[in-house]
Amino acid sequence: MEPVDRDFRIGYMSSMSTVDNLPEGERLELLQGTLEVLILRSLKLETNHAYGIAQFLAQQSDSEFVVDNGSLYPALQRLLQRKWISAQWKTSPNGRRARYYSLTPEGRKQLIRATTKWERFAVAMARILAPEG
Amino acid sequence: MRQWWSKIARVFRKQEDLSDDLRQEMDAHLEFMIDENLERGMNAAQARATAQREFGNRTHVGEKSVESWQFGWFEELRRDGRYAARGILRAPLFSLIIVITLAVGIGANTAIFSAVYAVLLKPLPFPSGERLVWMGESTPSSSGISVTWINFKHWQQENHSFVAMAGFQGRDLTLTGHGQAVLTHAGVVTSDFFPLVGARPTLGRLFTAADNDPHAPAVAVLNADFWAKTLGADPNIVGKSITLDGQAITVIGVLGRDPGFYTRPMDYYLPLRPTPQEASQRDAHDSMRLIGLLKPGVTLAAARSDIDTIMQRLAKADPGPENDHRVFAQLLSVERTGDLKQPFYLLMAAVSLVLILACANIGGLLLIRATTRARELAIRTAIGAGRSRLVRQLLTETLLIAAIGGACGLGLAAVCLHLLQTLGPRDIPRLSEAGLNWPVLLFAAVLTLAVALVSSLAPILSTGKVSLSILIKEGTAGSGNSSAGHALRSGLVIVEIAVAVVLLFSSGMLLRSLWAAENVNPGFDPGHVLALELQLPDAHYASDGAVLDFFQRLKTALRAQPGIESVGAVNCPPAAGDCGDWWYSIVERPAPSKDDVPVTLTNIADSAYFQTMHLPILAGRGPSPQDTASSPKVVVINDVIARRWWANPRAAIGQHIKLGGPYMKGPEVQIVGVAANVPQMGLDTEPQPQLYFPVAQHVSNGMVVMMRTRGSPESMMPVARRVLANIDRDVPIQSLKTANEWLGATLARRRFITLLLALFAAIAVILAIIGCYGALNFWVNSRRQEIAIRMAMGAGTAAILARTGKQAARLGITGLLIGLAASWGASRWLGNLLFGVSVHDPLVFSAAVFFALLLVLLSAAVPLWRATQVDPIATLHEV
Repeated sequence: MEPVDRDFRIGYMSSMSTVDNLPEGERLELLQGTLEVLILRSLKLETNHAYGIAQFLAQQSDSEFVVDNGSLYPALQRLLQRKWISAQWKTSPNGRRARYYSLTPEGRKQLIRATTKWERFAVAMARILAPEG
Repeated sequence: MRQWWSKIARVFRKQEDLSDDLRQEMDAHLEFMIDENLERGMNAAQARATAQREFGNRTHVGEKSVESWQFGWFEELRRDGRYAARGILRAPLFSLIIVITLAVGIGANTAIFSAVYAVLLKPLPFPSGERLVWMGESTPSSSGISVTWINFKHWQQENHSFVAMAGFQGRDLTLTGHGQAVLTHAGVVTSDFFPLVGARPTLGRLFTAADNDPHAPAVAVLNADFWAKTLGADPNIVGKSITLDGQAITVIGVLGRDPGFYTRPMDYYLPLRPTPQEASQRDAHDSMRLIGLLKPGVTLAAARSDIDTIMQRLAKADPGPENDHRVFAQLLSVERTGDLKQPFYLLMAAVSLVLILACANIGGLLLIRATTRARELAIRTAIGAGRSRLVRQLLTETLLIAAIGGACGLGLAAVCLHLLQTLGPRDIPRLSEAGLNWPVLLFAAVLTLAVALVSSLAPILSTGKVSLSILIKEGTAGSGNSSAGHALRSGLVIVEIAVAVVLLFSSGMLLRSLWAAENVNPGFDPGHVLALELQLPDAHYASDGAVLDFFQRLKTALRAQPGIESVGAVNCPPAAGDCGDWWYSIVERPAPSKDDVPVTLTNIADSAYFQTMHLPILAGRGPSPQDTASSPKVVVINDVIARRWWANPRAAIGQHIKLGGPYMKGPEVQIVGVAANVPQMGLDTEPQPQLYFPVAQHVSNGMVVMMRTRGSPESMMPVARRVLANIDRDVPIQSLKTANEWLGATLARRRFITLLLALFAAIAVILAIIGCYGALNFWVNSRRQEIAIRMAMGAGTAAILARTGKQAARLGITGLLIGLAASWGASRWLGNLLFGVSVHDPLVFSAAVFFALLLVLLSAAVPLWRATQVDPIATLHEV
């Protein structure tokens, strides 16, 4: 599982660097797809709430990627709508009630599909962007 | 479905209605952050403030989350909608023209459709109205004649096809005892009539079978209007009596609402009772017709053969002169409006053509716009917009503008419909019920949608053909037009001209027919003639002597007035229709076979009638005062009868007519004169066979007194009223109008339909001019460089005109030819609406051609002029 994680980060960062130069509207569109895959990935091993997902993504990306709640929540809603994740109210270890998201079987399949796609994308990007020689 | 609704609902409530889940979830999120901040050593206030700052704008996060609940396509639609609205506002003139064109097209169509719906399509307002059948008897030579009482009884009891059957007829009676005597209208019906038409009493009861017994007491059921207006809505009216034709009749009930079965409003209903003769003789006719309610699933044809079987049985069991009579049955809806079908569908067809023109114009405009926008579209295609995306964008824009046009069209339809009802002829049944009801609104909506789809077809077809590289390269001087676009535009011009020609031709034919009908020589001089229609109450004028005496005194008194030249009387004035008809035969000729006995209209005239009307007597004499009840029976025939039997009208004099034909009882009368023809059935009809009895030998209570006046006939109206009141104030006036009014009223429907068709043709021509102008103008615009080059090479104005004009002429002539071919076919469609004009009238054809050429010329003039005004140097520099 480790290589997948690394590729994710590379994929994310390289897309980030390209996207920066594009106008506002375009960036959002690219980010949307990315963020959803990252959320699916964060739920792969354990269920989590929105705050936990944001924390996970920040930690895993060495804080290069701070998720904006204005993107996170809509992304969660979209995933719910596509039935890739499901939500349940549970009590957290420190006693707070929170809405926990978990992957559905369909979500799991989608994660595999997306991962493959992103791997290919990252490899292709890396080939082009790699310093000559 | 529920999910759908919740989604839709959320779209409209997204601001207020953040779901509780989401709110709580965000609260929890915030708490986690506060917890963490507290762990880092912040105080409570700091921890909360920092967390809130880091969390971001809650409302914004909430809104965005809720937005993601909405349909994707709805979002896109909204975006398209916004874009379309911007597009519409960016070209306000263009949009305005489209909206107006649409409003005219949809408005006219909706107004006409609502009339067609009310008159022809809407179910009759009776329970199971679609199964109601109108019945009469038929003979080999005529159909729909009255049913005799005995036949009715047999049909009613022996049929297997009807749930119920009722007889009905009308009668006019004079009401006295409530101020001035008034003529009232009664529906005379059998007891099953009320349930069949769905009438219910608000007071008292309705008729039972016992009321149809000839010996039962005289009773009446009042209509609510009559009860309220004439009897002051007396709540205790049931049991009281009213005086009709001098007879006291007991009121047994009041109807809540007139069932509206009779074509004119009825004042009250009387039970239909057979006379002793009708109750005993199977061939004793009055004027009763029947309505019947078909059993569910029984066809009209099955019902007809069912009744015919009864008639065949009766011919054996109770033989008589009418053994060959059969049933005439027609669905009530067809019987009511059958003759309106053709004119209304013609109007509908005409107005649809107007809509086609509107579509073509809008399509043309959109096409031009799409072409000028081709560059934009090409660039959008280049950066990745799919063709379906562009098509949807174009469709949304058209739909939005069509919706605006449709809404304006509905407003216009409401106005037009109101005009239609106010100006239209009164005798079109149920036209007053037309309105913008659900079926009509649905029609308008579907029409709007269809127009939007059809009009955007042309531009969409042409986007499919755009070649990107060429467009982007060429897109410099606005010349981004494909050959496909040109073909489409040319096609539209041809269609517009062809449609305009068809409408011009049809309305021209109807205008000529109307003109011919208006100018028909009625056979007499209708100027300066005033007609006073009277119906003497039976009770006071029971004997023939009393009737004759009354009319004699009235005529003498009128003739004594200084403004009146002469006074005559007739039973049925010209153009009044059929007041009576009968079989006849010529005694001196071989008897015709039973199926070929001719029929003639019958009329009654006094000795001064022909002279008063200036209606020529062609041979012999008119009725004279010496033709009395005791003198030999004589008759005056008209020219149609005379020419049917004799080469020269004079030869008819002295010959004899057998009324009723050779196979029925009837008197024999001698022909003493031949009168000129009059258009008895209406100005736009051919003269029918007709004969006139002298008044004294054929006394009728109902006569029309004709006065030839010295000054204007209108000025004598008060005089006529005063003279009548002096003689007997209990005689009601049925009508008092000039002969011209009387004649002209018969053309009301024709005028109405012709006016509408001419109006549609005018709209069509205007639309076609605008459409052709637009297309040709664009054509010249897109060829400015070519023209400039030609000019630079030395082409003069004439050469440029010839070249540009050739294009206009080619399209114009193609459209004209197609239009003429279509008109040739369409003229058969006009069928019996034509009068006094041949089906392919050359004059109308040439007029249509002339106007169509004028149309082409008008629309081509400005574009051609602009072509000659191209400044070669400036234009070539633009490149």
